[in-house]
Amino acid sequence: MTGIISYGYYVPRYRIRIAEIARMWGKRASDIEDSLGVVEKTVSGVDEDSLTMAYEASSYALFGQDEARKSIRSVFFGSESPPYAVNPSSTILAEFLGLGTDYLASDMQFACKAGTGALIATAGLIESGFETHGLVVASDKATGRPHDALEYTASSGAVSLLVGAKDVAVEILEKTSYSSDTPDFWRREGIRYPSHGGRFTGKPSYFRHVGGAVRDILQKTKMKPEDFTYAVFHMPNGKFPLVAAASLGFTRKQVEPSLVVPYLGNSYTASGLMGLVSVLEHAKKNDTILFASYGSGAGSDAFVLRATGLLDERRQPFAEHVAQKEYIDYATYLKFMHII
Amino acid sequence: MTHHPAIIGYYTTRFGELWDKSLFQLVREAVDGVMASCRTETESMDAIFFSNMMGGILENNLHAGAKLAEVLGVNLPIFRTEAACASGGMAVHLATQYVTARPGTTVLVVGAEKMTDYAPEETASALMSAASGEEQSAGLTFPGLYAMLANVYLETYGYARDCLAPVPHKNHFHGSLNEQAHFRKQISIREILASPPVASPLTLLDCSPISDGASAIIVSSNKSFIKKSAHAISILATEVATDTISLKGRGRLDELAATRIASEKAFGASGIKPRDINVAELHDCFSIAELLAMEDIGFWKKGTAGQRAKELSTMLGSGGTLTVNTSGGLKAAGHPVGATGIKQIGELFLQLTGQAGKRQVKKAAYGLAHNVGGSGGTAVVTILGQR
Amino acid sequence: MLSPVKLWRRQKEIRSILGKKGKVVTATTVFVPTPEFKKYAPYTVVLVDFGHGIKAFGQLADTHDDCRTGTRVVAVLRKTKEVMQEDVIAYGIKFRIIP
Repeated sequence: MTGIISYGYYVPRYRIRIAEIARMWGKRASDIEDSLGVVEKTVSGVDEDSLTMAYEASSYALFGQDEARKSIRSVFFGSESPPYAVNPSSTILAEFLGLGTDYLASDMQFACKAGTGALIATAGLIESGFETHGLVVASDKATGRPHDALEYTASSGAVSLLVGAKDVAVEILEKTSYSSDTPDFWRREGIRYPSHGGRFTGKPSYFRHVGGAVRDILQKTKMKPEDFTYAVFHMPNGKFPLVAAASLGFTRKQVEPSLVVPYLGNSYTASGLMGLVSVLEHAKKNDTILFASYGSGAGSDAFVLRATGLLDERRQPFAEHVAQKEYIDYATYLKFMHII
Repeated sequence: MTHHPAIIGYYTTRFGELWDKSLFQLVREAVDGVMASCRTETESMDAIFFSNMMGGILENNLHAGAKLAEVLGVNLPIFRTEAACASGGMAVHLATQYVTARPGTTVLVVGAEKMTDYAPEETASALMSAASGEEQSAGLTFPGLYAMLANVYLETYGYARDCLAPVPHKNHFHGSLNEQAHFRKQISIREILASPPVASPLTLLDCSPISDGASAIIVSSNKSFIKKSAHAISILATEVATDTISLKGRGRLDELAATRIASEKAFGASGIKPRDINVAELHDCFSIAELLAMEDIGFWKKGTAGQRAKELSTMLGSGGTLTVNTSGGLKAAGHPVGATGIKQIGELFLQLTGQAGKRQVKKAAYGLAHNVGGSGGTAVVTILGQR
Repeated sequence: MLSPVKLWRRQKEIRSILGKKGKVVTATTVFVPTPEFKKYAPYTVVLVDFGHGIKAFGQLADTHDDCRTGTRVVAVLRKTKEVMQEDVIAYGIKFRIIP
């Protein structure tokens, strides 16, 4: 059964409080915190980017997998803040990881779901017999335009998955994807900051696609919301995933363990996967997880996952680690994000 | 005055921010000056040695030989030397070999640097070409490299950074007596310790400045010319040693092995001992460098410089047997890279011929010049005296 | 323009040190940088000994405090200098202190 053999993640040490950003723009912090459901977000350092974070996450994913890494035949790098507009980061990553030359490298972009799209593709490569092992990395150093709503939530993070046919810690029982042309959030070539459709990013975008993908997969698998131990949804803010969960019949209890956005912000392609990492810290053998990502433009990838007994050996500590942090002020944030 | 080549003349421009003069205008001034002081002409030289480090990087000017031929109006053989900050000492070394290999010849040795036409950080970047690529990529600067040496020294021998301050303090006192010095102002120990940090533990006043300037000497093995000269001092020894360009590869970080090796060779070749030296010009690119030099050359025992520097025994008027850096050193006289090594030897020439005026060390008989390239990748040690 | 060929040649060296642990031999905090490092200043540069004759220079990641000799560090991947907008990105080694 194809699935995740091992995984790694990277969350930078720096945090900026929503209150600090609000102070800058003369807004009341509690207003923002309440409406977005976010209190602080991660910021990667001035010398970090999506590639360096992808490397860190992948180092953890491949730790102790010396045999498996020799069999990696595909490397997918999913990001919407890749270091180059034209130049594969997947090969830079693979080179630093020492993966040789015998692999397919591909950079993917699809707003916040580039990583999960790559996961479906990789699972396909494995199931078709092209390879036995593939690496999927989702990494973003997301920037919001100063004084824009997204400035409060766009953050940095990376998650790396070693995907394989055997020896898996998390099985991928089913996968599906729901796509359409929905212009809720975009960035033109050469333009620095993304634009978005305000409230259009809600019902016709996030909720339509996540809802669509989740209903499809429930139908495909003939499963019901109560069959799942956990539900993980893409987290653009602290509200949307809870609303989606409720509307689809999932309880707050199922969603809460994955809700990292209030203290980590939205790390875009890594966002939903970071919620998954949070869940995997506690998931037990045979626990089932419904996972749905969302990428603006738009689409949602949904998965039915099941933890195996091997998760006990592959589990990564998360909560305690991300609690180690250092707060920075707004000027330092601008410097780290290369805005000044 | 037997078989040794001799220095028969010296001229230096002022060192400092010389906005009005280009590199080769400074060279011209130094050459005209030294020729006038010896009552001779450039055309009668047998060769010219030119010392300059950054003309290539900063001004995109190489082929200095041809450039000088044009500026000076000659068809002489002209050789450029580069060994980072040891370029000047290297030029004098090679000139000495030349006149020794060709008895009866006389050569001009001129060194110059133009560093203030560019923003200080561009100049600092160009100076880092004297360090390894890895050191450059790690964000090191020259103050940073010597700061690392300082940290090793202070930690190994149990000193605090206040043991470094006596060096710039002393050298600024000497500089106040030197009309050609970049800085004529004295500075106190307290000012030095309180000045802005550049690379821990070194502060601004621990570091030699960015300066323009040119210095020239005439070296001869022409016995009759030497005899007719008003002043002549023999070059008793000139020795060169190298070491790894990168601090990473050094055997020890509490010494500059190149200095130690070159001095041992120079003392051996000349028969002179460290205690015979009355005046020395040591390479104080940073305060720590003079402390290390005192130990590496053998004036002070290893590990004692931190304590002994505080006694200020090498300062003019202290009554000590060795006076160091009467020119003001690199710190106060300034450090136009290509000129420094020649200025050092020129200052010794003035001391040993009784022409040092207010800076005169009484009865100076033997002098030693110590010129270092980079963080110790090259060292040139020259011993001068009457013979 | 930063030479992409030089960066490419250095990749192997970088790869061989990534993830290695070593001890700090000496350090200094640079307050006055050359132009490409302005954005990162002040920063601490360390010389690290990995044993077996292998040493490397690099900056400390995430801190510019003075660093004592003997401090244990691990080599991580970071951007090492500011390059021009059109240049190839300079990735290299920095050192994170092992608590």
